Amino acid sequence: MTAPATVVRSPAEIRRARRLGITYIVLAAFVLWVFGMGSLGEGSATFKLVRPTDRFKDFPDLVLPAAGIAFVIAAALAAFGGIQLTRGFKKLSNVVLAVGFILFIFAFLAWAAAGSSFSLVGMLDESVKRSVPIAMGALAGVMCERVAVINIAIEGMLLGGAFVAAIVGSQFGSFWALVGATMVGVVLAWVLAVLAVRYRVDQIIVGVVINVFVLGLTSFISQRILNQNPHLNNATLLRPIKIPLLGDIPFFGQILFQQNIFVFAMFILVAVMTYSLFHTKWGLRSRAVGEHPKAADTLGVNVYRYRYLNVMMGGAIAGFGGAFYIQGSVGRFDENMTAGKGFVGLAAMIFGRWHPVGAMAAALVFGFADSIQGKLAILKVPIPSEFLLMAPYLATIIVVAGVVGRARPPAADGQPYVKE
Amino acid sequence: MLKRRLSVVALLAAIALVVAACGDDTTESTAATTTTQAATTTAAATTTTAGETTTTEAMGPAALVCQVSDTGGIDDKSFNETAWNGMLQAQEQFGVEPQFLESTDATDYRPNIDSFIAQGCDVIITVGFLLADDTAAAAADNPEQLFAIIDYPVIIPGVGPIAPFTETSTNARGLNFNTNEAAFLAGYLAAGMTATGVIGTFGGINIPPVTTFMDGFARGAAYYDSVKGTTTTVLGWDVEAQDGLFTGNFDSLDDGRAFAQNLMDEGADIILPVAGPVGLGSGAAIQDANAGGASVMMIGVDADMFFSAPDLQDVLLTSIQKKIDAAVLNTISNVLVLGALGNEYFGTLANGGVDLAPFHNFESAVPAELAAELVQLKADIIAGNVSVSG
Repeated sequence: MTAPATVVRSPAEIRRARRLGITYIVLAAFVLWVFGMGSLGEGSATFKLVRPTDRFKDFPDLVLPAAGIAFVIAAALAAFGGIQLTRGFKKLSNVVLAVGFILFIFAFLAWAAAGSSFSLVGMLDESVKRSVPIAMGALAGVMCERVAVINIAIEGMLLGGAFVAAIVGSQFGSFWALVGATMVGVVLAWVLAVLAVRYRVDQIIVGVVINVFVLGLTSFISQRILNQNPHLNNATLLRPIKIPLLGDIPFFGQILFQQNIFVFAMFILVAVMTYSLFHTKWGLRSRAVGEHPKAADTLGVNVYRYRYLNVMMGGAIAGFGGAFYIQGSVGRFDENMTAGKGFVGLAAMIFGRWHPVGAMAAALVFGFADSIQGKLAILKVPIPSEFLLMAPYLATIIVVAGVVGRARPPAADGQPYVKE
Repeated sequence: MLKRRLSVVALLAAIALVVAACGDDTTESTAATTTTQAATTTAAATTTTAGETTTTEAMGPAALVCQVSDTGGIDDKSFNETAWNGMLQAQEQFGVEPQFLESTDATDYRPNIDSFIAQGCDVIITVGFLLADDTAAAAADNPEQLFAIIDYPVIIPGVGPIAPFTETSTNARGLNFNTNEAAFLAGYLAAGMTATGVIGTFGGINIPPVTTFMDGFARGAAYYDSVKGTTTTVLGWDVEAQDGLFTGNFDSLDDGRAFAQNLMDEGADIILPVAGPVGLGSGAAIQDANAGGASVMMIGVDADMFFSAPDLQDVLLTSIQKKIDAAVLNTISNVLVLGALGNEYFGTLANGGVDLAPFHNFESAVPAELAAELVQLKADIIAGNVSVSG
């Protein structure tokens, strides 16, 4: 990343830092009063760390005094607030924010589970699974925006990938389904690239058009053809792969090393993209194209070629991510089954500051918010189920609107390049 | 250059809009698409009346019966599909011509109803509680048009009209089901069959036709406990609070997978998804878990899912049948034979409108004693000796 060398903070930044600090302290007070006092005398919260089918199924549960843990977390949040107000966390700001968010949720869970138990491993496993399409969308976004092409069409690419994966998977098996889904992402990205790079059309408009096009086309075919031919919409699932030894580690093994191919692909992609973007010639040139295409061009980098290639690679990632809905989840296409996850992916990209690792971390936060409401309803927390369903969207709004702050996009983001 | 660029975008946008319109089933596309629809789905009835002007046969034009489905879609293997089966049965018996329009959104309900009114349907059947407002409004605006709505009472004898329907809503008939009676049996069965002592359920949206399944299920399990002195935990529905676990939609299969996994993580080994096609995702998750060594069963809803979702036969313990098809057929037959809708319909265990499906593959797994108790319990519920609503 190309952080400016000077650390002079603008008044807006200072105001934001102060607001964030106050937010931490308010949260601390909330945790103390509502969760801490609310669960006094309610007994312990039991978090199950292994599944009954695990190898080490007798691994002990995590039993915590609900009130005690709330007090500890309240203290931590108050400390965050204090540091934020005095010194600031500088570059770590978003990391601390994520930690604070997790701590707050943990206090909430302890309060909800006080006197009963629930499967923490199940919830985190689900968070990882649910974050996959979001992360794939976010990584696709990083690929495109690093070369200054805004890709709103990620949603359409995910949906198109899912659709093709269902049909091809039903006919020719999972391998070709993944290939097909990836290819359809590439084709859609190519359309985006042609219009955005060559014809210099407004990138937002092109993205929206692609989304509407894919939604309409897949819904139409689904209603008119797939409904009458269920054999075209019955793909086999890719079962979780257990990595030997690592997969047997209690708790972490289940979450990280006993997953389907999409989860592993997500981890690998993040590693590969981080290395390539920041440590290879290709990465440096890509970033140059996104920051200052004219300079890059002057130095002999083919701006158009980089934009075309990277956008199409982004499309490949999004299309592959779309196949998760079929091969990684239920094996059956349904109209609009991505349900806006591509847009959540864009939010994750911004929250993650256009960095692959950040994007995945943000996707995990969203995946977590997605999986948490199911647990809460089972624990019978006194919150109406309709409000629990809002959790993922609430998290998105809070994160994007309230606390991300000044995330700096690539300087030329969204601007077409005209070679003189 | 600029001209060319604009024309490319315009072309793409135009295609997008046309295709989107087809996918949404809005009024404009109806005439064209339903004609092909009827052509593909009906082999016998060739009198496709797109404009109902050209076709004249000896019998006269076949009666047109029309269904507006909810967002789950006509192929949801349960709710909408069962209603559609009733239409197909009517086609076989009376030679009527069935047509459907799928709603992809709540905003589609009224346009879909209106386009059917314009087509001159003999009766319009709206599938589901969520369509009540639009059905009532359309019935009030078109007093000559006959309507039937599933899962919503229109005018209960002795009680009066149920809002949004009014005294004048005599052109509409409610098709209601005491699903909790059959769900009670399923709860009793599940409590008798569980190995872990934990059973689970989740719903689509917190509305009466959904929660009646969950409520009956939980109460049936509690009844088993009170008879046998066992302790069964029912996850996902709180009888006192009348709230529980909901996906918030009737179409995300991925939610169905996630929610079933969630319940299994908490130890549930019998799962009742009450959310139309979402349950197919749950079935996939259960099969996945069983392949990994678990032993979890699922209870289907609406149709006997053993037949409507044959992929899931290896996990389906039974299904809570809500015979919407019978109610739809009955309504159509009334309209054709009597020329009127007939009185409000209430499906019960007594009249066979709701029932517990056979165990099929699990026939040998269910102890004979438990099966006999279920037969007795069913008789008791019909006789009023056992209350299913607490």
